[in-house]
Amino acid sequence: MLLVLDSNEYIFSFGLLKKASAKILADTIIGTFPIHSIRIPRLIAEEVCRHLTPEEFKEFIGFVTNLTAIDEDFVVPFELGAKYESLGLKPADAFIAAYVEWTGADALITENRHFLKNRSDLSFKVLTAKDCLRLIISPQ
Amino acid sequence: MIKADSQKAKKHLEKVRELVSKRKHPFSDMTEDGIIEALRRTRKELWEKKLAARS
Repeated sequence: MLLVLDSNEYIFSFGLLKKASAKILADTIIGTFPIHSIRIPRLIAEEVCRHLTPEEFKEFIGFVTNLTAIDEDFVVPFELGAKYESLGLKPADAFIAAYVEWTGADALITENRHFLKNRSDLSFKVLTAKDCLRLIISPQ
Repeated sequence: MIKADSQKAKKHLEKVRELVSKRKHPFSDMTEDGIIEALRRTRKELWEKKLAARS
């Protein structure tokens, strides 16, 4: 699966909260790479950066850039973002949803329960780390 | 093209975890919902800065 992890998943994967699923998911992606891989936009990298020291951020960049390249935000077509804004998302969240569609990712992984939940007309799934792990471990 | 190396990625992730565990992070005493809300505010601030820089 190709996944886009929201900033909350990265933060939880560092062990800042006793949230085992986010840690296990990050470890599983690394352990199964490239069968399961990630994409990340500049915006999410910057969000994570805001909550790390420079030394921690340097290591975070080493983590993600050994799995993927960081995509610049401007590569996402404006029209895609506008589409998600029209579905009721705030502009920055609409950008993230547009980015996920633009990458062709299978799923956006987030612990934000309000992010596009209960919509069946999307080109990608919106999953928590726990639900994503269930899919990865037993895809049937 | 990037040269992917999952073993190097693993080492970097382990280092982040080690560094984060050694200090009192502002999120340490927050609930999951509190952290998610803080990250939502960060996203909003960054996005507004990006828009302002473009105009």
